[in-house]
Amino acid sequence: MPSAVAVDFGEDISPTRTSSDFEEINYPSHHESSLPSYYMEDKARRRTKGPVSIMEEEKVPLVPQNEYFDDEGKDVYNKRPPKSRVSSGRMWQAPPPRPASLQEFFLQNMEHIPPIIYTLLSCWTRFHNIGASDIVVWDEAHFGKFGSHYLKREFYFDVHPPLGKMLVGLAGLLAGYDGSFDFKSGTQYPENVPYVAMRVMLATFGVGMVPLGWYTAVELGLSQWACHLVALMVLFDVGWLCISRFILLDSMLLFFTFLTVFCLTKFHNQQHDSFGFDWWMWLVFTGLSIGWVTSVKMVGLFVTALVGLYTIEDLWEKFGDLKMPVRDHVKHWGARIACLIVIPILVFMASFKIHFMVLNHSGPGDAQMSSLFQAHLVGNDFNKNPLEIAFGSRLTLKNMGWGGGLLHSHVQTYPVGSSQQQVTCYHYKDENNEWIVLPRWDEAEYNPNEPEIRFLHHGDSIRLSHKPTTRNLHSHPIPAPVTKLNWEVAGYGNSTIGDQQDHWIVEVVDDVVRGDIKKHKDEKEQRIHSLTTRLRFKHQILGCYLRAANAILPQWGFKQIEVSCQAADATSKNDVHTYWNVESHWNDRLPLGDQKYYRSPFLRDFWHLNVAMMTSNNALIPDPDKEDILASKPFEWPFLHIGLRMCGWGDSQLKYYLLGTPIIWWGGSLSLVLAIVTVGVYLMRAQRKYVDMNDREWNHFMYVTKIAFLGWALHYVPFLVMGRVTYLHHYLPTLYFSVLMLAHMLDHFVFSSRRWTQKTKAIVFGVCATLIFGTFWWFRGVAFGIAGPVNDHWGLLWRKSWNIYN
Amino acid sequence: MSLRQRHTLSRPGHEYERAQEEEHADDVYQNPNSRHPIEKILETDRASTIVVAVLTTLAFALRFYKINQPDQVVFDEVHFGKFASYYIQGEYYFDVHPPFAKLLFGLAGWFSGFDGQFHFDNIGDSYTANHVPYVGMRALPAILGSLTVPVVYAIMKQSGYSTIISAFSAAIILFDNAHIAQSRLILLDATLIFFMSLTIYAYIRFQKLRYREFSTEWWGWLLATGAFMACTWGSKVNGILTVVTIGIAVLVDLWKLLDHRRGSMDYFWRHFIARSIGLILVPFVIYLSFFYVHFALLPTSGPGDSFMSPAFQETLSGNEMLLSSKEIRYYDTITMRHKDSKVYLHSHVERYPLKYDDGRISSQGQQVTGYGHADTNNYWQVYPTKAIPETGSGRVVRHGDVVQLLHVNTNSFLLTHDVASPLMSTNQEFTTWPKDDKSKHNETLFTLNLIDANDGQAWKTKSGYFRLVHGKTRVSMWTHSKQLPEWAFKQQEINGNKNPTEKTATWFAEDVILDEDEEDDRVESQPAKAPKKMNFFKKFAELQLLMMQHNAGLTASHPYASGPINWPFLLSGISFWTESDTQKQIYLIGNLIGWWTCVVALSIYVGILGADLLARRRNHEPIPEPVRNRLWNSAGFFFLVWGVHYAPFFLMSRQLFIHHYLPSHLASALIAGAILQFVLSETVNYPISIRGPKTRAQIRQYSDIGLKGPIILGIYCVLLFAMFAYIAPLTYGTPGLTGEQVNSKRLLSTWTLHFAAKKTAEV
Repeated sequence: MPSAVAVDFGEDISPTRTSSDFEEINYPSHHESSLPSYYMEDKARRRTKGPVSIMEEEKVPLVPQNEYFDDEGKDVYNKRPPKSRVSSGRMWQAPPPRPASLQEFFLQNMEHIPPIIYTLLSCWTRFHNIGASDIVVWDEAHFGKFGSHYLKREFYFDVHPPLGKMLVGLAGLLAGYDGSFDFKSGTQYPENVPYVAMRVMLATFGVGMVPLGWYTAVELGLSQWACHLVALMVLFDVGWLCISRFILLDSMLLFFTFLTVFCLTKFHNQQHDSFGFDWWMWLVFTGLSIGWVTSVKMVGLFVTALVGLYTIEDLWEKFGDLKMPVRDHVKHWGARIACLIVIPILVFMASFKIHFMVLNHSGPGDAQMSSLFQAHLVGNDFNKNPLEIAFGSRLTLKNMGWGGGLLHSHVQTYPVGSSQQQVTCYHYKDENNEWIVLPRWDEAEYNPNEPEIRFLHHGDSIRLSHKPTTRNLHSHPIPAPVTKLNWEVAGYGNSTIGDQQDHWIVEVVDDVVRGDIKKHKDEKEQRIHSLTTRLRFKHQILGCYLRAANAILPQWGFKQIEVSCQAADATSKNDVHTYWNVESHWNDRLPLGDQKYYRSPFLRDFWHLNVAMMTSNNALIPDPDKEDILASKPFEWPFLHIGLRMCGWGDSQLKYYLLGTPIIWWGGSLSLVLAIVTVGVYLMRAQRKYVDMNDREWNHFMYVTKIAFLGWALHYVPFLVMGRVTYLHHYLPTLYFSVLMLAHMLDHFVFSSRRWTQKTKAIVFGVCATLIFGTFWWFRGVAFGIAGPVNDHWGLLWRKSWNIYN
Repeated sequence: MSLRQRHTLSRPGHEYERAQEEEHADDVYQNPNSRHPIEKILETDRASTIVVAVLTTLAFALRFYKINQPDQVVFDEVHFGKFASYYIQGEYYFDVHPPFAKLLFGLAGWFSGFDGQFHFDNIGDSYTANHVPYVGMRALPAILGSLTVPVVYAIMKQSGYSTIISAFSAAIILFDNAHIAQSRLILLDATLIFFMSLTIYAYIRFQKLRYREFSTEWWGWLLATGAFMACTWGSKVNGILTVVTIGIAVLVDLWKLLDHRRGSMDYFWRHFIARSIGLILVPFVIYLSFFYVHFALLPTSGPGDSFMSPAFQETLSGNEMLLSSKEIRYYDTITMRHKDSKVYLHSHVERYPLKYDDGRISSQGQQVTGYGHADTNNYWQVYPTKAIPETGSGRVVRHGDVVQLLHVNTNSFLLTHDVASPLMSTNQEFTTWPKDDKSKHNETLFTLNLIDANDGQAWKTKSGYFRLVHGKTRVSMWTHSKQLPEWAFKQQEINGNKNPTEKTATWFAEDVILDEDEEDDRVESQPAKAPKKMNFFKKFAELQLLMMQHNAGLTASHPYASGPINWPFLLSGISFWTESDTQKQIYLIGNLIGWWTCVVALSIYVGILGADLLARRRNHEPIPEPVRNRLWNSAGFFFLVWGVHYAPFFLMSRQLFIHHYLPSHLASALIAGAILQFVLSETVNYPISIRGPKTRAQIRQYSDIGLKGPIILGIYCVLLFAMFAYIAPLTYGTPGLTGEQVNSKRLLSTWTLHFAAKKTAEV
């Protein structure tokens, strides 16, 4: 039996009807929205051998409850027949009549009273004593600093996308902060830093989580009891509370994650009216929200994946709808692509565009970007580089690979291989990055007083001499220290000693501005320019290419990037790790350059920065040399095996401990297990042909279960697989889905079950609410700050593994 | 509306076409005599036997060809050859893989007269010079590898594919350079793959008998599946994936049995119990028995001792712990070493510099370091913190005692305090404090925590590990491989780890130092100790746990390790062995044509399934039911084998090599056959399951590929063989190649062969 029967109005109409019958129905044939979605007939729990007949559905009593007619007595139902099949979403409901009196207005909006109360309560929890700790707590050191960079407009580099940090900057701007403080961890805030105002503004996002939680539960069709529980859990989790009270990105990440889920559930409930105004609105909001959440932290991609899976399932359902015209199919696809792919990408890119626009001064993050980009930053002098490279020029060479550094050498030698001087790739500006272009050994020595300037061209064979140590860039058939299949590159000899292995052939790849300059006829056009010309260096004897990929040298090389020489036939022509460009260029004999020669397109910068972020994010692997006491393993999270000290633990200071409310975390995790078992049992019973629910109930039950379970899994499993360092706060977005699941399971087994009386339900609710509030109150100190010696606070050590006491 | 109309209108026509089709099918497929004459000949048992015989003979020929070449240790023969010699000598060793395949090698070595004296220490060591009967040992994988070919044929044949198709799949394995290279050497993979294919074969036989449930034959194949599965798992850790495959298949099967139309719950439980016995209990018992034999064959102490717990080590005869473990008493002078880095706890008169490079300040106390060599500065004397009797067992240091450790040469107590250590600001500095100065007495107290100890257990040298936890600050004495700078003579840093139960903060007491005049009363007073007994299951559990830990720990980088995504496309191989004088080399690489065929087949398969799903969603059924059934169930099972043996590698962070793909490659060869059948003809042999007493008779269909089958197979085999022969010098390691030849054999630029000629530089 097709599952859609329950709601598909076009299906069981007798064949004598014509298509115009739709217009003549003066009353909807059924109206399930008026039933609670958990409605279950007593007799439904029985076994049928034959196919479940349509009779099932007909037994559903038709009890329209919200029967409103407006003053003209029009039948509003007639106007909007559902256009497409609805699997579990809410049916269209008539809007209530306009309130005639204030009393009626209140009555109509009664349902909004609880969320308002909860929101006010959350204002208290979030803002209470928010400025009590006047020191830089935990990662405020990072995010406060990034906010300062926006105010000072200095370019910096970080692994997270910019939206959240820009909002921190905005909060600072609104609060009147001038960006002068460097947010050193643990230091006291000076007078002129309005940290309280900044914290309050960011905590507002935390406040917003509570109403979103409530309304999401409503949209998921949970009973009132369960909605209250969701709101209470969001309100009273000390983990969410604690993380929302500081200058961190997490409150924003959480808010936008909640918002995305909310928009999605809202959109799901508009399914009865595809392409209607509300439908479009919530679809667009879902897209925007995805864009925002991913622009705050990359973790947002997980909730994006949830929306993606939901959409795939939805489209798959629609694909099987043979009655839907092709035009509608195309429209559905088009709408999803436009709203869920294009809009988020635009939002994401827009945040980067603003990021680049705001940060137009040179700052600590310069070196991560391409040389060309840096040339545009105020305070950077690359655009003063002499344009054309000549013999005798002093220059630095930048690798064009993602996050590539500058060619570097220092007096330390390789402890392996040739034991000659190390050559590495280094990310910071330093005198040791400077090289001088010199002619080959068998040519006349470079003479600075020679009248004619010899410019560098494609195919020239040169020697690169390291400025501070005079060693020559050298390679030889000795395996490189890390990438054993390549040859080692070292610094060898000095200004008089050297050999043929010091010779490198300059190959021009192209010029970002002028294109393929090798083909130009004019000699002047063929010259190599600083910043814009992409070069490769080929070893004259070995025929290998100078390359710096992402291999990191061990401690003896100060964890800098290895430079090696890769055999020509193993090197792809398009391998950007073998591309170099001249970054800084000094030559007294040449005229200074001008900004107009150097242009950097936005898309290229955007892409470059994103790849660089990815690369460094993946590089955040646990360092076996550095014991990180704060890091934790994902399997320690669901049952709250560990907490996290967010600041110093001295007796005199206010101590914050990142820890969830245990009841909520444990209950949520257990409910996930329960959900798996429940679904398994229901499926097995279905296989044995027991009918526990009708199709619509089953679809709705599975819809909520899928949102909660997949949401949880998508936010959790990737951390298990990821190689990078993980911390407890990575579980905070994940927790939301286990909270939803807990509410859903309680709803399914208690609040919406017909087995229990109202009284039992009230008792269960009372117990749950008391437990949640009670544990919150017990642990409130960890979020509000523990004053005095921590060991004086009795009874907080619920698990031995918490390091809450000294 | 118009859409619906069209639909209803087209329906009768559709029905009609269908009837036509079926009648057509009647004519062509359902009459065995209307098949092409070639097909009729090929489908006879006699023809099938001949094909199998040819395939098997060729397989033996290709795998035994020059099997004595090279007469040197190649690649992982270093390990697996060594393990065989340990079995022969009975010395305990430790390895991450279960013992079955290695036991077979031990057996092969024993049969061929290997005395176990040679230890396979380095790649390139000569066998002939050391009189190792290596050909006998290599023959074992070669035989198993050769037998894999007929098993592949049988799998396909049993799954209902034509002789030609079965031969096609077998040929992909037969002429595959990677399978050949892997089975000519003392490596575990040939055993693994052989038993994996047998498991698949047995399971298919079992499935075909599903309408004759609980018959003797049915039980036979069920138990055979279980037994082969245990052998697969026992050969190599990866064999667990075969267990998972069968597990998933059984779950799907059970799910179908749960359907109420199939019978009562009692009926279901009977099936459930039968499978639990056949596929869980029996394999587990067999798996255990491998370990039983393993332990029984390795009674004496060997290189694997140090991996095991002290209790385990005491079961090995000749173990040092057994021989020279001594109880430590108060006022004994002892030396202590760190478990992982093996450094001694050391101190010397030099002090920590007041200021470090990063600006932090030290206590300027005496340095406490980790030192790798024996030295009198490693001597520490154990001081009690309670009253102890003059003599007797009261003087023994026990688990949980609070002790002080006196550095003998400088007469100062070990101490730690809340000062950051030189290298790690998060950890505490260790230093010493003069014995007579009582002002810091509390900071010199340490609790001795013996690991896994009972209350009151005595502290012994060499037997068991301990943690030294500071009484006041609860840090445990820890060290790591980082060296201190020149001022501490580049010795290892010792510091206090804030986690008192840190796993790597484990130490052991090396020895009790006796004065010259002091008599060692302890060793004499004890009689020569006999190896202790330990419960087999305890031993088994301990070893399993260690195997898992070490397997996950194999993360060091290797120049020939490669990521799983490269494997199906054969992007890189492994250099097994090279000989510079003759420019010979063995490079593990597959047959390019065979592997790429498999990749193409896989993508076609996924494409067909996707298209079928989409079409059915739109109520079209483009593929006839029997053919579809075959694609989903039979090829689907192969696809499951492929996926389960491949996908998990994406999640592993350990070292991965292309030979980990070989089981999946075998499965993909099976899929290639199924796809070829689908592409060449819409016919299948159907049904193939054996009819049960209660099953309804179904109309039989017969596969008919006709003449094009043998022709395609013939051409394909020639191509396969040509490719095989072309890269054979890399597979057999002979003859030597000139630089230019090496270059020409490098078919993909990602293959890293040795002895390549330098290309003349193009400027």
